[in-house]
Amino acid sequence: MNGQIGVYICECGPNIKDRIDIDKVIEDISSLGDVKTVKRFPLLCSNDGKKFLEEEIKKEDLSHLVVAACSPREHEKTFMDVCEQADFNPYLFQLINIREHCAWMISDKNEATAKAIKYIRAGIRRVALHRPLEKKEIESIPDVLVIGGGVSGLEASLSLAGKDRRVYLVEKTGSLGGMAKKLSQLLPNQGSNLSLIDEKVEQVHNNENILVSTSSTVGDVRGFLGNFEIVIHTDGETSGFRKAQVGAIVVATGFDVFDPEENSQYGYGIDNVFTAQEFEEQIKSGNVLLKSGKPPESVAIIHCVGRKERGYCSKVCCCYSIKFAHYLKDNLSNVNVSELYVDLCLPHKSDQEYFEEAKKKGVHFVRSEEEINVNQKGDQIEVEYHSEGKTDSIVVDMVVLAPAMIPSGDTPELAHLLNIPLDKSGFFKEIHEVLDPISTPIEGIYIAGCATGPKNIPESIVQSQAASGKILSSLIPGEKIVPEVKVSEIREEFCTGCQTCLSVCFYGAIRFDSFKGISVVNEAICRGCGSCVGSCPSGAIRSKHFTYPQLYREILEALR
Amino acid sequence: MNMNDTYMPTIIGFLCNWCSYTGADLAGTARMKIPASLRVVRVMCSGRIDPLFVLKGFLKGADGIMMMGCHPGDCHYQKGNYNARRRFVMLQNIFESLGLEKERIGLWWVSASEAPKYAQVTKEFAEKVKELGPNPLREEIFL
Repeated sequence: MNGQIGVYICECGPNIKDRIDIDKVIEDISSLGDVKTVKRFPLLCSNDGKKFLEEEIKKEDLSHLVVAACSPREHEKTFMDVCEQADFNPYLFQLINIREHCAWMISDKNEATAKAIKYIRAGIRRVALHRPLEKKEIESIPDVLVIGGGVSGLEASLSLAGKDRRVYLVEKTGSLGGMAKKLSQLLPNQGSNLSLIDEKVEQVHNNENILVSTSSTVGDVRGFLGNFEIVIHTDGETSGFRKAQVGAIVVATGFDVFDPEENSQYGYGIDNVFTAQEFEEQIKSGNVLLKSGKPPESVAIIHCVGRKERGYCSKVCCCYSIKFAHYLKDNLSNVNVSELYVDLCLPHKSDQEYFEEAKKKGVHFVRSEEEINVNQKGDQIEVEYHSEGKTDSIVVDMVVLAPAMIPSGDTPELAHLLNIPLDKSGFFKEIHEVLDPISTPIEGIYIAGCATGPKNIPESIVQSQAASGKILSSLIPGEKIVPEVKVSEIREEFCTGCQTCLSVCFYGAIRFDSFKGISVVNEAICRGCGSCVGSCPSGAIRSKHFTYPQLYREILEALR
Repeated sequence: MNMNDTYMPTIIGFLCNWCSYTGADLAGTARMKIPASLRVVRVMCSGRIDPLFVLKGFLKGADGIMMMGCHPGDCHYQKGNYNARRRFVMLQNIFESLGLEKERIGLWWVSASEAPKYAQVTKEFAEKVKELGPNPLREEIFL
């Protein structure tokens, strides 16, 4: 083979120069066939270095390029950009990591040099097999599907809808507003009053770029970032379905609440034991009354209902329980209010003050070391708790239970439909709870709000805005999108149609063409992990840029 | 193992780009000492490691082969590492039934932040392989 491979070694300041004998490397590499030139440069990632490299590619008329420098995770992109600048296909280039993996890891200069030579030789042998890969551009649709018409879904719809972007908002119930509409009032630190939610609902209805479907569900989703085909099913009076194409999807399906009947210790079913949601209704109606019609003289609010069963803290219950205590103290004279909790969660900066104010009003806060038992005692209710190793109890007229937030009922079906994973609590799983809390493994599908776990209203709004930001920056109207280039391809003539690859592809990027009897990769969905390649019994799948011959050359060179 | 003092085994490490390869970079950045005998082959996912890579590498004379991927549940591509794990179990069975030394291959989960673990497992494995001595197949099999 008459390759014209150019090898460039970066000194990386003193980093490589001082730890590897570059002259010896050049001497060794120069003798290899197909190598046209071997040169060193003080710092290839600098502007001078990039310019030098660009000129070299043109001047030396290289067929392939090898750069021996730092980790591909650091500067592979930098040098690929240089290749493009020089009108040189960036996939004809290989970056060899002689800094992190040689110079910095091995103290003996001779050993480090020997290892660097091995790596560079492997790179040269590998790069000779590189073929140019072309980027493909595909049309993308800027429209977005938002699933769920609660606070998160409303916020996402309003952030996204615009002149060039339509939003399909699908809500399973008959009206917009979600769980927030069931509240009597918002927390003081979550905005002044509930009319904010009503305003958002109205804005959504008035926005001609938001197509609202209530009493509706998403029936089918196919496709990939920029090109999803969706079907929306609507029940009730306007029953029917609507087909649409969208570029991205925001899952904002919210939450349900833990059913306290699941565990008899919470005493749900006993007269005058209410859930927080039922209590909100009472506050809304302005009548907090016992079954007897009299107002309660003593109320116990029980936190952490379902926390043990579900295995997580729901984060919002403490604050709304304190809200209840404020309401009771402000509206019922001489009422005795106790809050019983296992752990108190006051995560936001204004929560502490809200809590201190409740204490000042005379609300008793009692920590129970274990879960609380609620039993009937005559006309009243006995609440048993465990403090400092002893079991104690109080007797009250009314009990309010603060149940945990749990995943919305249709979460598993939707996860299956969208091919996105769930976490061990049954909520949608984000890519990373801390570092990437709104992305899913499927590009173009985002999650916002309580669909990934308990959140309060401000946090849900922030997540919706974040998801909208991701979509606004990736799906620009009129611009095409460029999918991953290093994908798998199935060679028709070798495929036996066994479909093993379909079973290992997490992304559903491979389908079976029953007419031809072979499997076919959808390159727009494939992410290039190569799992299918290793699974193919007939070797029909090629992982572009990580082909068998390329990797074998690396392996054999390592063993030389 | 006095006779082996100068013997330097050849170990191939197949590293996932997203976890162990980055962990290895971090080990380098932290100037941790990694056995010079280890040759790294970067793949995008441990799921790309075809069992044939391991078998072929071994039959061609590698003294030890390491496979590294993301911790279960942390795969960059969701489930590629589970494919790697199944293939590793299969490889162990193949090694056993062919009468090859299966201690010479191993699978580890090393995340991008686990540079100390990378340094530790590579050091331990290199020491183990050194004790085992050269791969006897190196001299016997010609492919």
